[in-house]
Amino acid sequence: MTQPTKVRSLAEAVRLISDGDVVAFGGHTARRHPMAAVREIVRQGKRRLHVAGWNNGIDMDLLIGGGCVATVETSYIGIGSLGLARNYRRAAEAGAIRIIEHSETTAMDRFRAASMGLPLLPTKTGLGTDLPRYNPHLKPFTDPFTGETWLAVEAIRPDVAIIHAHTADEKGNVQLDPQRWHDNSPDAMIARSAKTVIVTVEQIVSEDAVMARPIDTILPRSDVTCVAEAPYGAHPCCCDARYDYDMEHLRRYYEATATVEGFADWLAEFVTGLEDHLAYLDKIGARSLMGISMKRTVRP
Amino acid sequence: MSTRDYSLAELLTVCVARELEDGGQGFIGLGTGGRAFIMAVGVPSVAAELARRYRGIDFITQYGCTFEPDLKKTPSNFADPYLLAWPSKAQVRVEECLEYFRRGRMTVGFTSGAQIDARGNLNTVCIGPHEKPKVRLVGPIAQSDHCTYAKYTYVLMTQDRRTFVPKLDFRSALGHGDAPGDRKRLGVAGGGPRKVFTDLAIWEFDDDGFMRVESLHPAVTMEAVTASVGFPVRFAEQLVETPAPNPEELRLIRNEIDPDGLFLEARIA
Repeated sequence: MTQPTKVRSLAEAVRLISDGDVVAFGGHTARRHPMAAVREIVRQGKRRLHVAGWNNGIDMDLLIGGGCVATVETSYIGIGSLGLARNYRRAAEAGAIRIIEHSETTAMDRFRAASMGLPLLPTKTGLGTDLPRYNPHLKPFTDPFTGETWLAVEAIRPDVAIIHAHTADEKGNVQLDPQRWHDNSPDAMIARSAKTVIVTVEQIVSEDAVMARPIDTILPRSDVTCVAEAPYGAHPCCCDARYDYDMEHLRRYYEATATVEGFADWLAEFVTGLEDHLAYLDKIGARSLMGISMKRTVRP
Repeated sequence: MSTRDYSLAELLTVCVARELEDGGQGFIGLGTGGRAFIMAVGVPSVAAELARRYRGIDFITQYGCTFEPDLKKTPSNFADPYLLAWPSKAQVRVEECLEYFRRGRMTVGFTSGAQIDARGNLNTVCIGPHEKPKVRLVGPIAQSDHCTYAKYTYVLMTQDRRTFVPKLDFRSALGHGDAPGDRKRLGVAGGGPRKVFTDLAIWEFDDDGFMRVESLHPAVTMEAVTASVGFPVRFAEQLVETPAPNPEELRLIRNEIDPDGLFLEARIA
């Protein structure tokens, strides 16, 4: 039997998402979020999504501003050192979205439990705080060995998970570069928690390239539904040692989101008015992209 | 305060450095900029190095995933490609780095908040009702974890009536709860907030878990502290002036540890 190819176009991959789905996103603060997929979700006009992550930023803020989100579940949404996420703020302050509150560890434990095949993980985080009141997935239980009270963090089973990685072969074996930032290590847990797993990658590579360094495979193909090639697919977020934040673009986004009208103009210019991810890269331009590109290995 | 020849950041740094314990481990987050950076990253970083050099203690600092980086080679930009190249003893996975808290190995967590109450509980979620807040903030982040598990926490924040409040709008991180003994009753492993360092004073916690002023910064009056806080202020019986940095501490900070102001003047991009 031949192994099927798992390569899809970004548009085909995003069509696997239905309105109302629970969709989990990889990445951290302004790091390696699957931004090309986020923009395609907005382009395809997905609605009423329940978005989940463990520490988020422009990914969720853009989806909220794009009208795609009903429920948010994470520990943080901000635009790094620039300030608060303004689409998120507006929606929250208008009471327009439901927010499920998490600490970093409980947000991770939702994915971790599912990725381990467990229904829950125990935690002390959240005891004595308001978190359980605003999070139906944290419930007290008694440790049968000690009689102590803990909170159970319920496993999450997202309909779809989307992460952005460095490379994959056509069969869907996904790798990260050896030099990578460990803040994104929960990406594998996020993927393994979900029913459908979309991985966007900087490059599709040969099977030989994958097999030459199997220790860098974070998801073997059995964990992956499809892979879509999206070079600079985390832009304007950074992508470990491959490219830096695009601070100029992030600042432009942050300033545009000061008003609803400003964001609408930004969205038309950089997302809905463009056909696809390659048109977006043309729009950002080779000079800007080369400006944030780093040597693959930065050694002192 | 006009005759002082040191900055507030230097004063707080020296105070934190005197508190850190030999053999301890401290966690410093990296997610902020500007003044928040000075309080959350700058002061703890320089304080730990000052404690090592001036007091000769062994103290492990953990910047998120990165353990014991070489402060002499601190990058001038904290974006990932530079952080990845920062010479350090270890980079562990993020879930592992937070497990040091859960295992009770973290001596001190450095925290902050948009609001704090008299028992050291913190809010980083919202101002106003959660369903429709006046201001939506970033969320609990890892502060709930720090405050639950660390042996103790140091809170660093600016003190005024908006931040030091009688009642939090949302309790995202546990301090000393609602009543004495709450942490023990909840079975929470860590000891909770031990000190609060502000622009006006240093606060400790009494046996009931109630915040009280331990020392006033030079030229700050009791009245100024009372006026800047939204709850009744307790003062320690032996209220003192916050001890100023000595010349050797200042020399180490300025000439050796942070000569370019990367940490205490937030010059890191």
